[in-house]
Order: sequence, then C-alpha cells, then structure tokens
Amino acid sequence: MEPSAAGRKERAKPREPAARLEKAKQKSAQQELKQRQRAEIYALNRVMTELEQQQFDSFCKQMQASGE
Amino acid sequence: PFFVNRGGLPVDEPTWERMWRHVSRIHPEGERVAQRIRGAADLPKIPIPSVPVFQPSTPVPERLEAVQRYIRELQYNHTGTQFFEIKKSRPLTGLMDLAKEMTKEALPIKCLEAVILGIYLTNNMTTLDRFPISFKTHFSGNYFRHIVLGVNFGGRYGALGISRREELMYKAPVFRTLSELIFDFEEAYRRCWHTLKKVKLGHCVSHDPHSVEQIEWKHSILDLDKLTREDFRKELERHARDMRLKIGKGTGPPSPTKDRKKDVSSPQRGQASPHRRNSRGDRRPSAEKKPADSKAMPDLNGYQIRV
Repeated sequence: MEPSAAGRKERAKPREPAARLEKAKQKSAQQELKQRQRAEIYALNRVMTELEQQQFDSFCKQMQASGE
Repeated sequence: PFFVNRGGLPVDEPTWERMWRHVSRIHPEGERVAQRIRGAADLPKIPIPSVPVFQPSTPVPERLEAVQRYIRELQYNHTGTQFFEIKKSRPLTGLMDLAKEMTKEALPIKCLEAVILGIYLTNNMTTLDRFPISFKTHFSGNYFRHIVLGVNFGGRYGALGISRREELMYKAPVFRTLSELIFDFEEAYRRCWHTLKKVKLGHCVSHDPHSVEQIEWKHSILDLDKLTREDFRKELERHARDMRLKIGKGTGPPSPTKDRKKDVSSPQRGQASPHRRNSRGDRRPSAEKKPADSKAMPDLNGYQIRV
C-alpha cells in the first residue's frame, strides 16, 4: 500500500466508531420519541372516544324522544 | 377534514401540530385537551398487543375471533389523523409490509387500515377467502364511506374490520349467502339512521404476502338507487358466484412475486363475469352535500353519526 493511502486509511478509522455511536444515539432518540408519541396518541384517543360516545348517546336519546 | 400522516413514524412536527390543532378546534374543551396530555409525565403505559399466533389445530372461526380481538385492541382512531398512509393501488407486497409496520408500531387505526391488517393476519388461512366490501351511505345530507374485509369460510360469509359502530365491523362467518351478510350490514346501518346507497365488492385477495398483484377493490359496483331489491340480491349472488368460479378454476398463473418478475403476466379473468357496473358511475365527490331531507334530524351542534 502506498504511504498516502495508508495515511488515509489510518485517519478514517477513528471516525467509524463515532459515526456508529451517533447513529445509535439517533435511533434511540427516535425510538423514545415514538414511544412518547404513542402514549400521547392513546391518551388523546381515549378523550376523543369518550366525546364521540357522549355525542352519539345524546343524539340517540334525541331521536328516541322525537319519536323518529 | 380528514388528515393523513404521510411522513411515517415518528410523526413529524408539522403533522403532529396539525393533529393537536384539529383536536383543539373540535373538542368542547379546546386547547385544554392538549395542555393536559402533551408533556404529561403520568400518561398510562399502553402495552403493545401481541399478534395472534395459532396452533395448526385451531379452527378458522376461532382464529378470526382472535384476529378481530387484536384489531379491536389497537382501538378505533378518533384523533382525526390517520397514522398510516394507505395507497390502495400499491402491490399487495407493499401493503403487507405496511401491515407488518402497523403491528410493530401498534397505533389506533381506521377502517381501511383494519382491512389491510385483516388480510395480513389471515394470509396463512388458505381455506379462508378474503375480499373487500365498501359501503357508501347517506345520513343527514352527507355521504359516508366505510370498508370491511369480507370473509368466506366453508361457504359461510362473515367480516373483519373496525368501525365506530360495533355492528359495522366484525361478523362471524355464519351467513349462508353473501346477500345475507350485506343485508345484515344494511340493517345495522339503518339502526344508526344511515341509508345504504352503494356497495362495492372486491375480488378475492391472494394469500401470497409477496404478490405484486394489486387488490381489486371494486369488481362489482352496486348502486341501490338503480336496483330493485331482487336485482340487488341477484347481483350480490352473481359476485359470490364470480368469486367461487375464479377460485375453483384456479384461473391465471401463480401470483407474480418479487422473485418471479420475469414470468409476470396479467392474471386471467377466466370464466368470471366481466367487471360489472350497475350505475352510470358515481361522479359525486365524497363530501358532496344533498339538499336537506324532508325528514329533519335533530341538530346536535351539527353532530354526524359517522361509522
């Protein structure tokens, strides 16, 4: 191997673990965000499901009261 | 409005903010809903449901119940934002990849997502036929669309799916004819004051999760305004016969897959009836409003019974 190529190869090596570490951190952060979003989505869905049910029940009562 | 998350997961910031803005607009408590939930430290931990796994001896009807329980456990998505983008024209293999993602991410879903998931979770049930059933209904001046996955096991029809209304999703495979199944849905719609206007029936979906075929969503399109009751029933049975014929003859080459692209050729229609359309076609946009009905509905701040 030529000296310059060997030098490039030597310089490239320390970056690889750092790049991999960074990638792993990003993946972990993304996973955490997904988990957080999932928790908030289900909390929101519970609230909106209750709202829908209340509105549906009220509507049904009105329909029955008006004798359709 | 109907929002779709097109950026994958996690949800990107613009889509996330749009979701919360929408909720604040439609919920009586407005922004307080978001304030209570966003950033809260004590939100309940929602376990990720386990995809049902079956012993070889488990009967198919029992498997369908388990699949439906799984779908139900994900919950119907009432947030106003659909989290998985479904392009109906995608090859089956792409839709199955999406279904797999749905099981990994485990978020609330709506009816079309449930159909894709239903197909994915029943691919290994080779004696079960699956076909999409789409409904268009009318309520209080608006049109509504819904879809379920029709199933046929041993000549008995049923359905898998998810809906806001319990009666418009799962049906055990006990109906002797396709007509009986569809009439059951029609009656369920009537009980929540929806009038069934149109039914679209797809053809049977391949069991090969790597197939590059597209799902045929509307092999038969039945416009109830243009059919007598008897004709409606006949057309439904004609579709059922078409499905039986296509399966029985095993028409066409094996489903083209990613590994066999060189052999791809169009699946033959065989002896099945040509694509049937029983109306001049529906050119109405999905949100079109009709003039107010003579039978006025009580106004609950404009509440619409969606399905």
